[in-house]
Amino acid sequence: MKKFALVMLVLVMAFAVTACGSKDDAADPIKIGVQGPISGQWALEGTGFVRAVTMLAEEINADGGINGREIQIIQGDDKGDPKEATLVAQRLVNQGVVAVVGAYNSTATEPASAIYNEAGVLHVTPSSTATGLTEKGYDQFFRTCFLDDRQGLFAAEFMTGTLGAKKIALIHDNTTYAKGLADWTKIYLEELGAEVVFFDAIVPGEREFGPTLTRLKNVNPDAIYFTGYFSEGGLLLKQARDMGITSTFVAGNANNNADFIEIAGIQNAKGAIITTEPIPTDIDYPEARKFIDDYQARYGEMPPSIWTLSAADAFRVVVEAIEKTQSTDKDKLANYLHNTMKDFPGITGPITFDEKGDRLGTVHRAYIVNEKGEFVPYSN
Amino acid sequence: MEMFFGQIINGITIGSIYALVALGYTMVYGVLRMINFAHGELFTLGAYMAFTMIVSMNLAAYIPNAVVALIVMAVMVAGLVAIVGVLLERIAYKPLRQSGRLAPVISALGASIFLQNAIMLIWGANYKVFPEGVVPSITWEIGGVSITLMRVLILSTSLTLMIALYVLIQRTQVGTAIRACALDHDTARLMGIDVDKIIRLVFIIGPALGGIAGMMVGLYYRQIGFTMGWHYGIKAFTAAILGGIGNIPGAMVGGLILGVAESLGAGYISNAWKDAIAFLILILILILRPTGLLGERVAEKV
Repeated sequence: MKKFALVMLVLVMAFAVTACGSKDDAADPIKIGVQGPISGQWALEGTGFVRAVTMLAEEINADGGINGREIQIIQGDDKGDPKEATLVAQRLVNQGVVAVVGAYNSTATEPASAIYNEAGVLHVTPSSTATGLTEKGYDQFFRTCFLDDRQGLFAAEFMTGTLGAKKIALIHDNTTYAKGLADWTKIYLEELGAEVVFFDAIVPGEREFGPTLTRLKNVNPDAIYFTGYFSEGGLLLKQARDMGITSTFVAGNANNNADFIEIAGIQNAKGAIITTEPIPTDIDYPEARKFIDDYQARYGEMPPSIWTLSAADAFRVVVEAIEKTQSTDKDKLANYLHNTMKDFPGITGPITFDEKGDRLGTVHRAYIVNEKGEFVPYSN
Repeated sequence: MEMFFGQIINGITIGSIYALVALGYTMVYGVLRMINFAHGELFTLGAYMAFTMIVSMNLAAYIPNAVVALIVMAVMVAGLVAIVGVLLERIAYKPLRQSGRLAPVISALGASIFLQNAIMLIWGANYKVFPEGVVPSITWEIGGVSITLMRVLILSTSLTLMIALYVLIQRTQVGTAIRACALDHDTARLMGIDVDKIIRLVFIIGPALGGIAGMMVGLYYRQIGFTMGWHYGIKAFTAAILGGIGNIPGAMVGGLILGVAESLGAGYISNAWKDAIAFLILILILILRPTGLLGERVAEKV
């Protein structure tokens, strides 16, 4: 049995060595992996990744490829599951990919990123926002999505700048996401010179916010920013208006749901604002227009979500790095993305990475509830 | 000072809902010495039935007068939830009445899970939202404190129901029979009281009150979910213990105290600490008075 295991080990290692050995031959196509939940509960998102990346690769190949070499896309379906993700990552590495776009959810991205880091494969996730992912010191890991602190920055700038609010109340619900967003918003608000006059949590599942709002009414804020979920957000807004609180009500992206308006009632929801990633059709960069048109022409439907656009950006960033460095060496690629590339014209806006691989800037937008109870882009 | 009164009003409103639900726990405990864990789900059922009457059956189209419509709806909700309550007792509790104290409690937990899932399967797992304007949104400003019409309705309905129940229990023959059953089933039977009938009656009154409370929560907050019974159930159960379980005025007092304590805690300290404060008060009262505020010290029967 021991002997058998040893033989297997040797075989596996030999295979791995040959796989690595054949990695970079100038005549071969450049292999780029796309990992995501192509089946399972998030199949829509994973399929969006594959479609976006495949379409762009075919466009590039039709124009003669990168530096004269063709791009070959290799798919990996991780079903959003961390166990599957490690298998998929191992398989992609064995097949000799130089870069990978994916995965969708942070739970799947995390184990995969360790494997890619070890194998020296450039790894760009379009959608995994867990803060810890870029805290591991992996120099070849990047993301084209924005973290919650970016939404906090946007909300802080929007409330102090566009709305001109000086006194702001922050309400979260003690979940990791909502508390994190509220904490970041507080930091940025204070940097911008606004005063956080109220900072407290409500309890998810609770329906009576009278006690909290009575206290909030006393400090009379210019704006309220609620970072929790729509089911409480709608109630909070309604009860605030019932109590005669007239402060502008702003809520985070977990309130981007029609039920938010329905629970609050159109009368109360009218004029409420949410900060959120824009829906794909509201992005007005020329690159976005072209991408969405091409996507629609090719697949006969709209990209399912903003993450499809983000996946396209992840792929375009990889291509840009390979093209500019004339190399598939991960150190050169990573160095280019970290230090050289500034304001690359992405589909979701200018792309610049910081030293950790996180994206600078923000994609978030403000939407306001109109008289008919619909979210429409905010304009002055 | 305005804030203080505001918080007191918040507390009394939510407390009167707790009290209404607590009555169901305390009455069942009084006659059967068991905790009806499925009571929270009967409360949820009241909210969902009201939702169906308003949205699917469009009750308002048949009864143009809002006041009459609300009363008719309350009676129908109370009746339907009471039927479920009686069935619950007949199916889940009665066969176990002679089998010690633990079996009915387990059965009640099972019934609670069953009802919760049944509600989810019938109405779906999403939040349901009551339409606007079933109760006109009128707000009065009294000394800097805003009071909505719905709050006034909740308060007056709960108080009326509680007073009616108190009169029923203390002043009528049926009430005397209920109190007799609470003291001793066998002796009550010797006095010619049909104990089974009284237990059924308790499972009509308790669920009916719980159902009306659920309906009012639905009308006021307008957002209902199939798990809402747990939250209100646990609070009402606490209120029942606080006041002395088995004691009807105790449940009312317990509910109001719990509501006000929560409200002041959330208002002056932090909303996140609200439950901790409410339960701290419960612990203190139970240390000082193990039978609850109004609970009588009854010698254990051997």
